[in-house]
Amino acid sequence: MRLLDKYNRTSLIATCFIIIVAGFVYYFTISYILTRQVDKDLMVEENEIFDYVKLNGRLPQVFKSEDLKIKFEKIGNEAVLRKFVDTQYYNDLDQEMEAGRSLISSVRVGEQPYKIIITESKVETEDLIRVIFFITLGIILLLLVFLLLVNRLVMRNLWQPFYSMLQQIKQFNLADQQAIAPLNANIDEFNDMNREVTAMSKRVTHDYIALKKFVENAAHELMTPVAVLNSKLDNLAQDNDITVHQSELITELYGVIGKMTRLNKSMLLLARIENRLMPEQVEMEISEALREKLSEFQGLYQARGIVVEAHLQPCHVNMNRDLLTNLFNNLLANAMRHNHTGGKVIVDLDASGIRMSNTGKDTTLDEKVIFQRFYKSSESDGTGLGLTLVKEICDLYGFQLSYHYADQLHCFTIQFRA
Amino acid sequence: MIEDEPGLRESIQQYFAGGGNVCEVVADYASALQKINIYRYDCIVLDITLPDGSGLDILENLKINNHPDGVLIVSAKNSLDDRLNGLDMGADDYLVKPFHLSELKARVTSIVRRKSFDGSRTVTFSEIKIDLTAQQVMVHDIILKLTKKEYALLLYFIANKAKVISKNAIAEHLWGDEVDLSDNFDFLYSHIKNLRKKIMDAGGKDYIQSAYGMGYKFTDL
Repeated sequence: MRLLDKYNRTSLIATCFIIIVAGFVYYFTISYILTRQVDKDLMVEENEIFDYVKLNGRLPQVFKSEDLKIKFEKIGNEAVLRKFVDTQYYNDLDQEMEAGRSLISSVRVGEQPYKIIITESKVETEDLIRVIFFITLGIILLLLVFLLLVNRLVMRNLWQPFYSMLQQIKQFNLADQQAIAPLNANIDEFNDMNREVTAMSKRVTHDYIALKKFVENAAHELMTPVAVLNSKLDNLAQDNDITVHQSELITELYGVIGKMTRLNKSMLLLARIENRLMPEQVEMEISEALREKLSEFQGLYQARGIVVEAHLQPCHVNMNRDLLTNLFNNLLANAMRHNHTGGKVIVDLDASGIRMSNTGKDTTLDEKVIFQRFYKSSESDGTGLGLTLVKEICDLYGFQLSYHYADQLHCFTIQFRA
Repeated sequence: MIEDEPGLRESIQQYFAGGGNVCEVVADYASALQKINIYRYDCIVLDITLPDGSGLDILENLKINNHPDGVLIVSAKNSLDDRLNGLDMGADDYLVKPFHLSELKARVTSIVRRKSFDGSRTVTFSEIKIDLTAQQVMVHDIILKLTKKEYALLLYFIANKAKVISKNAIAEHLWGDEVDLSDNFDFLYSHIKNLRKKIMDAGGKDYIQSAYGMGYKFTDL
């Protein structure tokens, strides 16, 4: 549930409850006051009767009145309890029963005691209370409508900075190196949060750049010691009395150093692609370049008994030349390394894209992980960065890279245009 | 050789010494500047990042003074800017660290050949004669039909004659070092075998020796 709805619900329920309670209190209070007023009227009437009896020694004459009736009853010597009671009042005019209020009292005329019943119609009081009730109800409805409107219009406006900030946080991407923009809300809480989020995003971006710079520098700095290592090994190999065992060790070292170099270079290239440091791009026809690459790889494929099938049509792509070479190298080396002896590589190139299919393991690879850095199958002796580079290059130029496995072919497709 | 890393300096000097070559080394910008303005060299191997200056300034100095020395830049940085700057300023070649000494030797040899242009543009090794302009190889005046890779391989061998060249170095020379070819170099064997066979079919001697599976050596000894 959204904060706004939650708040609305709570505040509405509370408001209704309070208004209803207030209505009751109002009703009872007014009802009590009005009844007291009626009682006062009745007492005035009673006093008038007492005065009349004292003065004249007889009961007063009873006149017909619209809202007051007085009745005298002869009674015996039993005591009459003076009290106010709620009764019915017969309205002669309207010929109907109405709510009424009576005062029961007694008076003695000479030796004869009389019971006095003074009744007054309460219809006006009831009307008043009804009006008050409807007014209260009206206020409740008005308040509800008003609250909803306020929430819809005002609250939404109030929360606007929050939502725009949320949007920015959602779109925040370290690789873009775009810090979250500060915004100026006139609400302190939002300003506080925005300030912190902006500062945090700046800090994170800064750390990320520093970290990447460090990786790049580290890779650079590693190159010189590796170069020394490599050159010493080259000289060691020139020794005249090297045993077979020593030469095996040297061969192994060459392999390890070569791998280290490739790893380092791939990391540097990745860093440069991510930092958008490969800006030079040209519109070029790539089928010829691919044909050349294929003939270069021909010997390598042949040594493993891998048959290449190529269907190359002209294709124009706008990209960096070095990255194109790298793309081909990685795809072709990949198709070779994960192939089996006597396998097959099919290369399809047309104006829309390139498809590279190769035989290999009989299981589908997990598309989610194969493009991740340093992911490689247990038997692979590559750097684990080849497909990552392919992916990064495709991402850089907005090419669609996908993988699927069908008919025992592992198939990598790059769509140059959407 | 202008290089501030002592390990690399010594290795290169050791590898280049012999065979009638003279290899002088300096470790910093100041002494390099002094040396290049006194002596002339067939080729200067120049490290761009020196502790007290930039190798590019040395290159500039050479060009301002119209010194004809060949220049090969070596750098740990593979950035295109450095490469283009270096080549624009008149360097003959650019090599990224780390490299195999055999690769350096081949590049330096190629620069020296180009600089000491004597009109014939040929390389001769015993009965093998290579016409660099026509990219043609002859043994006892018989033209060999070599593939591109075999031709490159032969030139690489001759530039590094009597040296053991590792299989890694050969593979990287022929296919480039960015191709992750794994550690299996079986595919090299067929190229070597074909080259050897073609030379011997034309009456040449077998100059290619295998060095314990570590690599190959091209030698007439």
